[in-house]
Amino acid sequence: MAETYPINIWINEERYAKLQKAGLAELTQDAFAGLKKLPVPNTMNQVDRVVKLFPKAKFDSATTKTIELLPKDVKDDIFDMVVSMGKIDIMEEFLKKHGA
Amino acid sequence: MEFIGHGGKKLVERVVTDKKEALNKIKGLKAVPVRRQLATEAISLAYGFFSPLEGFMKKNDVDSTCKNMALVDGTVWSIPIVFDISDQEIVDYGIKVGTSVLLTYEGNPLAIFEIEDIYAYDRDTWSQAVYGTTDSKHPGVKRTLDYKDKFLGGKITLINPPKFNPPFDQYWLTPKQHREKFGQKGWKRVVAHQTRNVPHSGHEWLMKHAWMATHAEMSMEETEEGHAITGVLVNAIIGEKRAGDYIDQAIILTQDALRKYGYFRDDVHMTSFTLWDMRYAGPKEAVHHAIIRTNLGLTHHMFGRDHAGVGTYYGSYDAHRIFNKIPKEKLNITPIFVVEWLYCPHCGEVTCIGLCNHKKEWQGFSGTVIRSIIMDGVKPPRLIFRPEIFDIVQECAEKYGFGSPFVTQEYLDKGTQAFRIDPL
Repeated sequence: MAETYPINIWINEERYAKLQKAGLAELTQDAFAGLKKLPVPNTMNQVDRVVKLFPKAKFDSATTKTIELLPKDVKDDIFDMVVSMGKIDIMEEFLKKHGA
Repeated sequence: MEFIGHGGKKLVERVVTDKKEALNKIKGLKAVPVRRQLATEAISLAYGFFSPLEGFMKKNDVDSTCKNMALVDGTVWSIPIVFDISDQEIVDYGIKVGTSVLLTYEGNPLAIFEIEDIYAYDRDTWSQAVYGTTDSKHPGVKRTLDYKDKFLGGKITLINPPKFNPPFDQYWLTPKQHREKFGQKGWKRVVAHQTRNVPHSGHEWLMKHAWMATHAEMSMEETEEGHAITGVLVNAIIGEKRAGDYIDQAIILTQDALRKYGYFRDDVHMTSFTLWDMRYAGPKEAVHHAIIRTNLGLTHHMFGRDHAGVGTYYGSYDAHRIFNKIPKEKLNITPIFVVEWLYCPHCGEVTCIGLCNHKKEWQGFSGTVIRSIIMDGVKPPRLIFRPEIFDIVQECAEKYGFGSPFVTQEYLDKGTQAFRIDPL
């Protein structure tokens, strides 16, 4: 399986409840002192398109290999798409929605 | 009362507070406008943050700093404090050795500058000596290369003290005022925590570690009775900001919140700030920070991993090792070296890498991860990030940061500066 580079969505109680309802709660991971994250995967091609689409975002290629500093509303949108589509692999649809 | 500063010399304070006297002194002086960095360094020089310097450095002191990490008189000094100026400005303002000019900031009088030296200095020699590299990608090297053609050296006298805007006004203290405050608190030892960050629990534990190491063999009776004789001073660095940094208001208010919400006792913890643009000079900057805090009257200074470093220019503990090369009598402050604190799920607590043996399970306090959590607006577990700190960060975003707790272009363009200079 090709390596993927996640956008980590941090999960509070409200988000966890929505994931449970959508049957996706098992996709979360324990990240930091019990705080859960939902790692939404990207291919390298998608990483490039995300960073181009949101210039404030950064790809941390050195340590975490994650996309960071995405605005809150963008991450909210990604989370909502995961819940509404009932799957985690949604970045292609997300990028198309934003014309990228 | 006379205070002794770095190098065993009298603490410098060159400030005229009498308005009439100030107006008399500046009569007929040519006005030279300065940018923010030079204004803040003039203020710091005048109040003695950089004692024993009485003004911007002359060539012989810059040269000695680069070659020997000391001023000409042998006082330890690691980073040149200089006033740069273009050849054209020297002509336009008629600047000559032996004359004085009036420095102005944002159109208002700031300080008198007695010109004692006009000189050039090789930037590569300087960069290699101070930063250990001539790579222009290093922010300190870039700053050095970007300086204008020449430098002016000479004494500075502040004639119009700065006014600090809220919330900074609650935390501004001159070196003399720091010492008076420590005296009032009855602190016999004070350890500095240098920061440019909003604190997470890892930072909190670094301070606790430093407090214990500083207090060391002294009596615990006073502490138990509620009037500690050892204090922690959080001395935040307020200066040039880069996009993505925490905004200054969030830094200062959250650091103080650790005391306000009881994570440190009132008699143990205090917050203030120093105006300074970080040079990211790693070990040389660690020495500079030690000098500043000596002048503030501190007895100890905490240095963590990669203190004041940037990128991969310095080893993780270079800023510790440099103190081994400085004779104890040359630096009147004791370094406290600390190692990383992190969260261990096995222990179920924040612990120290020097103590915990569950290495494979460790979860480090990555700045990137904390930032990512805060940006999502998700409150982290209180064990790693205090809920009151999170709330203040969010409040600061709304009140000062145009919706963001991190520096944005809008904050850089329109944000409230820490200080202003009013008309005299």
